[in-house]
Amino acid sequence: MAARAPSDGDDRDAPLAERFAPLMARVAQCARPGETSAGWFAGERSDFVRFNRGRVRQAGSVERHTLDLRLMRADRQAHESIVLVGRLDTDAARVDAAFARLRDTIAHAEPDPYLSFDDTGGASRSVRAAGAPNPDEIADTVCVAADDSDLVGFWSAGPIARGFASSRGHSHWHESGRWSFDWSIHVPAAGRAAGGFPGEGGRALKATLTGESWSAPALSAAIARSVRDAAVLARPARRLEPGHYRAWLAPRALADLVGMLGWGGFSERAHRSGQSPLARLRAGESAFDARVQFAERLGDAGVPLFQADGFARPPELALVRDGRHAGSLVSPRSAREFGVAANGAADAEAPEALAMAPGGLDETRALAELGEGVAVSNLWYLNFSDRRACRVTGLTRFATMWVEGGEAVAPVEVMRFDDSLYRLLGSELLALGDVAHRIPDTDTYDARALGSTCVPGALVGALAFTL
Amino acid sequence: MSADAAPEFDADVGAIAAALRAPADACVVVRALAQRHAWHAVVRGVPRPAAAAHDCGAMVTAIVDAGIGYAACADLTREGLQRATDRALSWARACARRGVFDGVAIPRPRAHGIVRRAVEAAPLPPARELVGLLRAESDALRRDARIVHWSASLRVTRTRQAMFVDGVRLAEQSFSFVEPNLEAAAADGGDVQTRTLGGQYNGFCQQGGFDVIERSGLVGGGARVAGEALQLLAAPNCPSGRMSLLLMPDQMMLQIHESIGHPLELDRILGDERNFAGTSFVTPDMFGHYRYGSALLNVSFDPGAAHELAGYDADDEGTPALAVPLIERGILVRPLGGALSQARARALGVPLEGTANARAAGWHRPPIDRMANLNVEAGDTPLEAMIASVERGVMMRTNVSWSIDDARNKFQFGCEWGQMIENGRLGAVVRNPNYRGVSATFWRSLERVGDAASRETLGTPFCGKGEPGQVIRVGHASPACLFGDVDVFGAER
Repeated sequence: MAARAPSDGDDRDAPLAERFAPLMARVAQCARPGETSAGWFAGERSDFVRFNRGRVRQAGSVERHTLDLRLMRADRQAHESIVLVGRLDTDAARVDAAFARLRDTIAHAEPDPYLSFDDTGGASRSVRAAGAPNPDEIADTVCVAADDSDLVGFWSAGPIARGFASSRGHSHWHESGRWSFDWSIHVPAAGRAAGGFPGEGGRALKATLTGESWSAPALSAAIARSVRDAAVLARPARRLEPGHYRAWLAPRALADLVGMLGWGGFSERAHRSGQSPLARLRAGESAFDARVQFAERLGDAGVPLFQADGFARPPELALVRDGRHAGSLVSPRSAREFGVAANGAADAEAPEALAMAPGGLDETRALAELGEGVAVSNLWYLNFSDRRACRVTGLTRFATMWVEGGEAVAPVEVMRFDDSLYRLLGSELLALGDVAHRIPDTDTYDARALGSTCVPGALVGALAFTL
Repeated sequence: MSADAAPEFDADVGAIAAALRAPADACVVVRALAQRHAWHAVVRGVPRPAAAAHDCGAMVTAIVDAGIGYAACADLTREGLQRATDRALSWARACARRGVFDGVAIPRPRAHGIVRRAVEAAPLPPARELVGLLRAESDALRRDARIVHWSASLRVTRTRQAMFVDGVRLAEQSFSFVEPNLEAAAADGGDVQTRTLGGQYNGFCQQGGFDVIERSGLVGGGARVAGEALQLLAAPNCPSGRMSLLLMPDQMMLQIHESIGHPLELDRILGDERNFAGTSFVTPDMFGHYRYGSALLNVSFDPGAAHELAGYDADDEGTPALAVPLIERGILVRPLGGALSQARARALGVPLEGTANARAAGWHRPPIDRMANLNVEAGDTPLEAMIASVERGVMMRTNVSWSIDDARNKFQFGCEWGQMIENGRLGAVVRNPNYRGVSATFWRSLERVGDAASRETLGTPFCGKGEPGQVIRVGHASPACLFGDVDVFGAER
């Protein structure tokens, strides 16, 4: 029997909110006297398409919804995560069964001195509908726009939702319909034929486009633009010797770099337990340049303003002001453990919408101001080489260019850097770009992410290349 | 169902798979997976709340002509899986028109009648006893006021997965994964040093039951881990310079992973990962003659090592798993490429023998080329003899930092623990030891390979790759290995 046509008519674009609202209401009703029941929903109905050489490599759909249930009684609690099928009868039975197991578990659980849960309740609802093309349409749009270029990319689309409900009166729902295409146009290394096995030494131009309303012409135009822009990468590459180089870190490269501060840099728990790379900043032993300002800016980032302990999250929280420590992300659990005030952070205490204030450098003149040096488009595989010194190592990737006389003249072969953020955003910071760009988090490990980083570019006097 | 048994599927997936409707020219593969996690931890002396997770779902893969499509869902009813089948067929047709598979004979699963049971030599005790064990080690970790952070943790995952092709069950496999760890951070003034049992990202992880905990050294390990953190706090910084480098198995595992495992993945070599995880400095013409390392280097792909984290009997493309060499006496002989990658390479004129390594991170992700168990074979040099052969060098243990370029060549790695070797003797402890090099030449500087007595079976639950992203378990067994003339350095001060 023939399968349904590609536009198969099921309600793939319909919001998840209505479908799961009755189940979330049930979570709130599962508490017995003296108990608190709560549930954190994370779900998505996603289409994924990988492209290689401008053709479809792997394509499919994933529908996955999980509910992290939590039962509390006095100072005892337990968690259990279940997977949902999307039908109320089956899912409600699973919720009931899970709470029964949790009831058994907390009967034998030890007291948790750091249990913290908001008992004031609250409700919110934000639903942005998804609009995704069918399989043929996305395949045709990308493959036609790529033409004969070596495009490698990844398409994702469909609704993503987070929800929270509890017997204390919480009822929150946040749903995004964001689609995303993240791609790169590859140019073979000198001596390698186009269409052959890539090996190393090739270069590429990286781009990302996200949106809510599907627009084939917009995506086609962006791909065509990237194909044109990648032509400069065909020039002979320049090999640099290790040393210090004047550099323009484009917003995406700076986003990669400051993303490392999310590894405990702003976490109260990490500070208190000796794990933070910004311990010296907090202690006042080190500082960034006075132009450096960081904040967790959730308000306009498309992320939920609620968290799994029921507390509201402020739209903006200052983390670094005038180059100095200004605040930390403090989860309710850390607040109890360390005796400080919570500020609505999620338990991970990692930024989800880190925002860095722009500076005064007209970014359209960034290469002119650089004069001679390296324009870094992207960084790759960053890790701390000395966490206490906030020293980070990593590599250049994609379209890193050698600049002379304010013009990009040649791609640069991959270089390893190893440098401290206290230097790059401190003594070596010459200027920050005048526009902060929002870099969407396109992470899809386990589930599609919702966050973003908003940063300008940075002109630095010396970036240490080591290999 | 007992607490120790592998979880069951939420439905009779075999019967439903047999009843799925699809065109006669389509091949429909159903891969179902049920999984149960339990996580126990005592952090800074306080037990974390009990946490469990139940997961169950299936991926339907449809093959039509030269197109492949997939659809995954947790709804294992007849209607749910039929809807997934229809969606997978839609993607397969779009892929057939616009896919990379022109001229590729898309392979069908070849496994047949495979039944694998979880390896569990000693059953795990009830949760309360496990938490008691962790609490005892937690107390031992807090042996000094300078210990500012300490934790003892254990994650147990039980999995059942089954594969059906056109309704016929080809394989059913069960697994029990155990990941114990201990961690202590010691601070004094502005300095902090961290020491762990198996690395901060659970380097000691195996299949089994309580036997894994026994092999890990967790029992009684708290005092040692904390003591070593305090030793590091008092130690000088690792010196800089070119010198001999003795890597113990819990750093060798990372070295193998990043600079042999990833570069040999055939999907990277074919260019699939260039937008995310990267490419490889390895090209198809290298297989059969390229000198990857010194003649002492022998590397194998061994999914049959049952206790190792990625032991299995068939991969997620349905290829029966066999142990094969990848590097023999330093010569590169075979990539890590599953049946589909091999077929694609053949269509491009490169007939490479590969491995059964196409694996998925769960029911919600499609299979791609992964490492599974990737091991360095033991040599014949006792550890003491390796140390005695060194005039000036450093021994490093336990990875803490890792970074490598997108072609898997220029790397820089850091370890928790360093110890100087001078004039053939193991000497002072040094902290913040790092080294850097280039994969293509580093393995050629392999001077000695430890004997079987120095070999350990480790791995990581957190190997990341793919679009959409996939985090998967891999195993790495290795002896201690000695490298010559390596660029070594320490921290800023």
